[in-house]
Amino acid sequence: MIPILFIVSILIFFFTHLIPGDPARLVAGKDATLEEVNIIRAELGLDKPIWDQYITYMSNLFQGDLGTSLKTGLPVSEMFADRFMPSIYLTFMSMGWALLLGLLIGTLSAVFKNKWPDYLGMVTAVSGISMPGFWLGLILIQIFSVQLGWFPTGGAESWKSYILPSLTLGAGIMSMLARFTRSSLLETLRADFIRTGRAKGLKESVVIPKHALRNSLIPVVTIAGLQFGFLLGGSVVVETVFSFPGMGRLLIDSIAFRDYPVIQAEMLLFSIEFILVNLIVDIMYSMLNPKIRYAS
Amino acid sequence: MQRVNVWKMLFIVLVSLVLMAGCSSKESGTDEKEKSGSASSNNEEELVIAVNENFISMDPHNTGDTNSNSVQTAMLEGLLGSDEEGQIIPQLAEEYSVSDNALEYSFKLRQGVTFHDGEPFNAEAVKISFERIMNDESLRLNSRGFNLITSIDVIDDYQIKVTLKEPYAGMLTRFVSAKILSPKLVNDSASDIGKTPVGTGPFKFVEWVQGDHLTVERFDDYWKKADRVKKITYKPVPENGSRVAMLKTGEAHVIYPAPVQNLKELESNSDVEIHKIPSTIARYVSINTMKEPYDDVRIRQAINYAVNKEAFISVVNSGYGLPLDSIIPSKTQFYSKQETYDHNIEKAKELMKEAGFEDGFKAEIWGNTNSDTLKGMQFIQQQLKEIGITVEIKSMEEGTLSDEIYGAQTPEEAKVQMWYVSWSAYPSDTTNATKPLFSSSSFPPDGANTAYYKNNDVDKWITEVNQTADPDKQAEIYSKIQSTIYKDAPWIFLGVDEILAGSRSNVEGVFISPTGGINVTDANLK
Repeated sequence: MIPILFIVSILIFFFTHLIPGDPARLVAGKDATLEEVNIIRAELGLDKPIWDQYITYMSNLFQGDLGTSLKTGLPVSEMFADRFMPSIYLTFMSMGWALLLGLLIGTLSAVFKNKWPDYLGMVTAVSGISMPGFWLGLILIQIFSVQLGWFPTGGAESWKSYILPSLTLGAGIMSMLARFTRSSLLETLRADFIRTGRAKGLKESVVIPKHALRNSLIPVVTIAGLQFGFLLGGSVVVETVFSFPGMGRLLIDSIAFRDYPVIQAEMLLFSIEFILVNLIVDIMYSMLNPKIRYAS
Repeated sequence: MQRVNVWKMLFIVLVSLVLMAGCSSKESGTDEKEKSGSASSNNEEELVIAVNENFISMDPHNTGDTNSNSVQTAMLEGLLGSDEEGQIIPQLAEEYSVSDNALEYSFKLRQGVTFHDGEPFNAEAVKISFERIMNDESLRLNSRGFNLITSIDVIDDYQIKVTLKEPYAGMLTRFVSAKILSPKLVNDSASDIGKTPVGTGPFKFVEWVQGDHLTVERFDDYWKKADRVKKITYKPVPENGSRVAMLKTGEAHVIYPAPVQNLKELESNSDVEIHKIPSTIARYVSINTMKEPYDDVRIRQAINYAVNKEAFISVVNSGYGLPLDSIIPSKTQFYSKQETYDHNIEKAKELMKEAGFEDGFKAEIWGNTNSDTLKGMQFIQQQLKEIGITVEIKSMEEGTLSDEIYGAQTPEEAKVQMWYVSWSAYPSDTTNATKPLFSSSSFPPDGANTAYYKNNDVDKWITEVNQTADPDKQAEIYSKIQSTIYKDAPWIFLGVDEILAGSRSNVEGVFISPTGGINVTDANLK
């Protein structure tokens, strides 16, 4: 993990500095004179050679210092403080109900293949995937905030604020999981060991969850893990629609402003999160299918 | 055994995911009742203002963006302030005077004023704040003007004199933005200024949750006694539709800006009022006057005649805008109206013929990737086609565009032909609305004169007008500057934006300035 992070940090640093656009000019404004821009460049440490900047960046990083935002002048860690946890909570909530419903719909669709639960489930899934988050979010606001007044239109102040954004974020993932569960389960149900199980007189209530579903979960876990990683990085669309204080919008704002320290710190954080999620996914593989564990 | 474990594990993971989400929300929900964000927040004691962007910092000496400044103005005050029209008025100073040579600024301070932390406001406090702006090198944005100060003399507790080494006409506006902070904060915990500012304003800081909200509450010892709302919460809500929804549900009492596309719907709502404020945002296309064929004034005038400005306002600005009938918007001090280039294709063609470009030519226009900019550039493209000019649109991401514009070190290196852009200066700061745009000392990278406009008379007048504090003389010189430049047509003079804001009908005492600043000094809920 450490060597991966080290390589990632190098890539992030140099790629960030490769983006065209001069932060000093963006900080100084359109009317600034060259002299003012140069003063700012020196103040931000951007006048030093790039390798010099990298060494400073890395030595600060080793001391736990993520740097100071070029735009706000506030320490990056403080800018993260208010946004990191809401992003985490939103991710867990979205994933939580996406997993529950996705698995449920997928399983029911497979079990009742070509019957009405299957059609209903798949219509739900296709709708969930095809509705753009932006649109779904605004529709939810219109119905549940403006007309019914049940939930606030945005923010992250109480559990109520998380409901609509998590539904918006989770809809697509739920649908994807439902489809994957369905097709993977259908495949497993055709397998020999299922037939054997049934022939042995096992009840469907045992065959489906204990034998079939468990063996169908590998691709589902892979997809869920990937989505989980993406969600941790924040979602610009949902954060924008619901004015949610998450990590996604911060990253976009920082890129527009060429706020190097914030971009670097955020990318590094996402990399760590992704590596951790992958690790968890691997552990789950081995739990689901001991063969994987024995092989490694 | 193994099977049972897997299912148990999965179940535990799922349950804990849901629980974590649930518990965490409870945590943040404990003080829910105190806050107003929830759907049931029609708390009469609290005003909620939704704005379109995040606040950058609360350090008044290091920020220049409209929304941060709006919030700061609720908590912090300068020696001078600005009225609804954006013109300068005394605030923490009761009176002020400027010497004839525009070098000495004397202030008589208001007595009986205290900071939110109980510190007394006096000349010494003013000096400490001003010295911070002058000496702290990290305050890179706001040192302009203050870097010309040679001395700050405390005459007595309530009189102070500031002397400059050379005249700077924008200095009065600088005294508006140079808010006075508590000396205790500046001396003991300067690193907190950006997060928890302490001033003398009508409201004091309560909390700031980055990206979510910033709350201030009424300061009961404020020097100007009036009935005002107990608490104000500012929320950054970038999505237009969400801001509108908040206004409709009453979750927000004021929204800024109100999106044009929702105006009709909002206007038909009896609980909502829409405010249209003429701004100081000039929208124009700069034309590189040093490049062929734009170096011929007739070509630039022809371009101006070819563009229908009324159509521009109705098509691009959805009808909300005013004509740009000078080089500065009408709300800017010393504005004088000019004879406009009214839409006249015949005249434009005639001028093109005189200049030897009867058949037109190929041109390029630059702008950022914003959808409104793109719409504006397409409009120009369409209009100039009428007189044979084929315009190619190049839209670039802001940072790249900035590199292209400011990367040129000399006018010869400049590749820009036309740039679709806007400019906004404080209404009281005519220097900033002219010098960076039209002085030959402001060619990029030294300023924003992207028209590469050079006129020796104008250069001389700009220097001259900045060396006097006599308003009559300033008005006279600015009048000459405006008429000369308008005739030289270094821009396509497109329009002046109108700022749109929405409020609930029970809101009173809140006004939006021509720069988009939200003033809440007398804010109240009926």
